[in-house]
Amino acid sequence: MSTDAILFWILAFMTVSSALTVVLITNPIYCALSLALTMVGVSALFVTLNAYFLAGVQMIVYAGAVLVLFVMVLMLFDLKHELQAFTRGKMTGALKLASIGLLAGLIAGAILMSNGILLTKSEAFTSPDMASDTTKQLGHLIFSQYLFGFEALGVLLMVVAVGAVALSRSKGGTHAKS
Amino acid sequence: MGQDTFQITVNCIKLVLVFLMMVQAVPILVWLERRGSAFIQNRLGPNRVGPLGLMQLLADAVKFLTKEEFFPAGGVKFLYYAAPVAALVPATLAFAAIPMSAPVHIDPFEMFGKNWGPYTFFWQGFEINVGIVYILGVSSLGAYSILMAGWGSGNKYSLLGALRASAQIISYELALGLSIVGIILLYGTFNLGEMIAAQQGLLHFQFLGHTVESTWLPNWGIFYQPLAAVIFFAATFAESNRLPFDLAEGEAELVAGFHVEYGGFKMLLFFIGEYGHMMVAAGLMTTFFFGGWSIPGVSYESVYQWAQGAAATNSGASLLAGLIHFLVWTVKFAIFLWIFIQVRWTLPRFRYDQLMDLGWKTMLPWALGNTIITAIVLLIAHS
Repeated sequence: MSTDAILFWILAFMTVSSALTVVLITNPIYCALSLALTMVGVSALFVTLNAYFLAGVQMIVYAGAVLVLFVMVLMLFDLKHELQAFTRGKMTGALKLASIGLLAGLIAGAILMSNGILLTKSEAFTSPDMASDTTKQLGHLIFSQYLFGFEALGVLLMVVAVGAVALSRSKGGTHAKS
Repeated sequence: MGQDTFQITVNCIKLVLVFLMMVQAVPILVWLERRGSAFIQNRLGPNRVGPLGLMQLLADAVKFLTKEEFFPAGGVKFLYYAAPVAALVPATLAFAAIPMSAPVHIDPFEMFGKNWGPYTFFWQGFEINVGIVYILGVSSLGAYSILMAGWGSGNKYSLLGALRASAQIISYELALGLSIVGIILLYGTFNLGEMIAAQQGLLHFQFLGHTVESTWLPNWGIFYQPLAAVIFFAATFAESNRLPFDLAEGEAELVAGFHVEYGGFKMLLFFIGEYGHMMVAAGLMTTFFFGGWSIPGVSYESVYQWAQGAAATNSGASLLAGLIHFLVWTVKFAIFLWIFIQVRWTLPRFRYDQLMDLGWKTMLPWALGNTIITAIVLLIAHS
């Protein structure tokens, strides 16, 4: 095995095992921490693919976002109460089943759609001058070819943020007297 | 890491040296901080142990090592012990990516009966093409150690301090990132080495067909982006949890914040982390706004020519020139570290709402405005 392959397997093992920890462990604190570890692992995998810019952005955006999640967990959750609410009841059972179905569909779809992707090597991304300046390439692609998707994603995120604030406000926010 | 054994060995040694440089600078900074704060407050500071109190550092180290091992009741063992180590990592990784001097070119030479080809060594831990993004990404992990410490200590003061710190770091990271965008637009690169190369020589630029040239001002980033420099420097204070932004450890209300339960060497590791963030900030200030390792008024070529006279070979001359530029970089770096200390002992702490107002309502809009204006000006200048 080459060094690249060894590195990949170590990083992949770390990423996947910490991602599994997020799902399998019940303590939300450890969940948030392993989610952060997953993000770091993914960004390290980006580095092994020479996508340095993506790796950095992954670190800044996602690691920062997980930090917010962490704070939310610490501040807003009554840990024991939430744990019970999430592990019992018909409603959560149905939710669990639905998410299993979604996940299975995603995996099946990913396998079907990625079939053959790894076999054909596209010439465009292997030339050395492009590898050295992928950041510029990425910028050009985002602001020309994929402009609509990029902007739509921005609007979507904005709506999500505003919606989250509106929802939390309508129920009294953090000062709710439940 | 490199093509052959020699390059790999040198690069590994370099990594260790950069780490040691960071760690060894901490005792000196602690001494400087204690003496400096004493003089600012009209006291004497530590002056009994050794000349000028310099041996105080050794005494401190012994004290840190021999303190009682302590674990708080109700703490989380894994997080409690992992936090101080995690505090050291981001600053170390970020500091290794800061260029400290001109690259050293080594001509082919013979050793152990083999020919070793020409090398170029960068005067930094490792060279990354997207240096800024990497440094920002790595140092954004710094808040985790604080949160781990706050949660792992099982102490209300620790937790409150940790929450304050994370809220503060999230808020100021935005202003920090946005203030750098102007710089990135200006130089058109993420590479720190290329940025320094763009700041060589005297101040000169072309605007609307006119060529503006200065006779004595160096071509430093601060003359192009003064607002970004101010915002960036202020935000780095918040990022490294230094006064006037050290609400995370506000003694008056939180005892000592997130590290209440830590003593001895664990406490020292947090200290090294904080000073490491300061060093990264000082290094970035030097790189972005003050020309990095360049000497104002003297070009690299003239230094290199002088070094050729002093050293026998071209490799030696390159090394000597690198060393001189490293000293210049160190002087600039030290000035910023001193400003950090001076500000800490001069300004009082912000109130929490003032802190948030400054971050979200003042620095963020100004940084955003700076970005937009820079983009417009660059568009006009390039068209």
